[in-house]
Amino acid sequence: MKKNIYYSLLISAMVSVSAAEETRQVDKHEHGVGELNIAIEGNAIDFEFFIPGADIVGFEYEAKTESDIALVNAALEKFENFDNIFSLSESSNCNLVNSEIGINQDDDHDDHDDHDEHDEHDDHDNHDDHDEHDDHDEHDDHDEHDEEAHNEFVAHYSFNCGNIKEIDRISFPYFTTFPNSGELEVQFVSEIGSTSFEVEGDEPFIDLKGKI
Amino acid sequence: MLLKLSFSSLYARLVTVGMTILAISVSLMLYMSVEKLRTSAYTSFTDTISQTDLIVGARASSVQLLLYSVFRIGNATNNITWESYLDLVSKEEVDWTVPISLGDSHKGFRVMGTNKEFFSRYKYRGSQSVSIDKGYLFEDLYDVVLGAGVAEKLGYKIGTSLVVSHGLQSFSDHDDQPFRVSGILKKTGTPVDNTVIVSLAAIEAIHVDWSTGAKIPGQLTPIDEIREMDLTPKNITAALVGVKSKLTIFQLQRWINEYPEEAMTAILPGAALQELWRVVGVIENLLLGISVVVIFTTLVGMAAIMFSSLSERRREMAIWRAMGASPFTVIGLLMLEAIFISILSITFSVVLLFCVLNLLQPWIDYNYGILVNIEMLAIKDMYVFAVFIIASITVSLLPAIRAYWFSINDGMTIKL
Repeated sequence: MKKNIYYSLLISAMVSVSAAEETRQVDKHEHGVGELNIAIEGNAIDFEFFIPGADIVGFEYEAKTESDIALVNAALEKFENFDNIFSLSESSNCNLVNSEIGINQDDDHDDHDDHDEHDEHDDHDNHDDHDEHDDHDEHDDHDEHDEEAHNEFVAHYSFNCGNIKEIDRISFPYFTTFPNSGELEVQFVSEIGSTSFEVEGDEPFIDLKGKI
Repeated sequence: MLLKLSFSSLYARLVTVGMTILAISVSLMLYMSVEKLRTSAYTSFTDTISQTDLIVGARASSVQLLLYSVFRIGNATNNITWESYLDLVSKEEVDWTVPISLGDSHKGFRVMGTNKEFFSRYKYRGSQSVSIDKGYLFEDLYDVVLGAGVAEKLGYKIGTSLVVSHGLQSFSDHDDQPFRVSGILKKTGTPVDNTVIVSLAAIEAIHVDWSTGAKIPGQLTPIDEIREMDLTPKNITAALVGVKSKLTIFQLQRWINEYPEEAMTAILPGAALQELWRVVGVIENLLLGISVVVIFTTLVGMAAIMFSSLSERRREMAIWRAMGASPFTVIGLLMLEAIFISILSITFSVVLLFCVLNLLQPWIDYNYGILVNIEMLAIKDMYVFAVFIIASITVSLLPAIRAYWFSINDGMTIKL
């Protein structure tokens, strides 16, 4: 009987290890490559930017010194005004409805909707093998890792347009606003279908004729 | 008069001029067919899947996922578990999903397990959907629906029985569980034509007695028993997903890409296709470059032939001069000749192009699933022709000027 308990302990330990393995994923992160998602439906057009910190402020650690913090704040301020980032043709008559600017430190990318799942994971910890779980301490050195973590600027903009079909081109002053920036990988979707672009500073625009 | 003269002069040198025209037409045809192939390949690829918002599979590059799930090119790195699929289905952004399961084959054609919703959800060329030509979609566990190409190439009819092979290149068959053709689809011009479609349950059923890629020796579950089993799939290869609102696509894509339980990838089909095309585009440009160089070479060849014929034709030119032609008329005659040659070559190359395309179209369609559209020439081709004629006139200027000198120096008497 006692043996059985050992076995079940062993198995549960194995299960928790494999569960931990499954969740060990790291987002891709590439300096010089920012991501942009554009979605269009009806009169609405949404922009989502995910830009590595190196492209914006030249560093990716958490800003701690005054000068670094000033740099980050200045960058965030630039993002606040979307004219610094991109421009839509005036005839499309688009008005900003909502925008969210922020900075993602490390990989807490999914900080919004995934909280429930984290709770589920916590259940795992409630299993009987507390001892094995003492390696929580190890997790603590994540904080040290944060020193070399990658931060990411995230910006969402939602527009409502009077004449959305007039958007035949979107240009990106982004490249001049942030001289460190590399390319932008753009995913685009509308009711017609999806497509993608690679935009660089020497041709800072995308052509959307016939795609909306 | 000048025209007639030039034409008869060309006619007198039929063989050399004929060869020149042939060389030029072949190179022009090469250029045009490369151009036709690349535009056809592009439209054929982009028309293959529409109205599917996301394709979800195991973690892979977007191009790879697109190729194996839609074009049946290459293989999946992994499958995704049914649990993860159910998680995906329950997301509120999701409007519909179609699971697909790949991995087996029949005489070189891929077998795809899916559900009936595939036939209403899978759209190509804008909003065309797959429809049944003969028979009906699968009703029984061992019913199979064939793409038009499969039925045609293997000569299968409704009721034909067939056996699915395990894997893509294998000699072990699932011969204990034969299928029956219940329906044949209309031709779509997409990879569906070359696909053998069964239900997901059937894929599960034929693998009942299999374990890790091999048949369990001695084990043979009777078919009646299999029919009673729970044949919910344990895993699938990919899923086609439609969302309720386009504005939520990227949110859902992120959720899938960051799904903690399993490494999955979600792609936007059009975006992945465009990514693929940026790679293919390099080769395309290379091919185009080569054909442009070929055209240039033949133009130079034309000039060379004109040059070498000049010395033979000094007598002819002397006669022209004797008939009252000025040295400028001689230049004009040679340039007219070049224009004649290029127009004849263009005409001939177009004829040649359509012959070749008509001949090769079924073969390209059969082997590569690309339907080359044989249609009339585009305006772009006219530009190319115009540029070609101008280029040939320019090239002919050199021998023409030389002829001019000859005719001034020689006058009417030739000292050879």
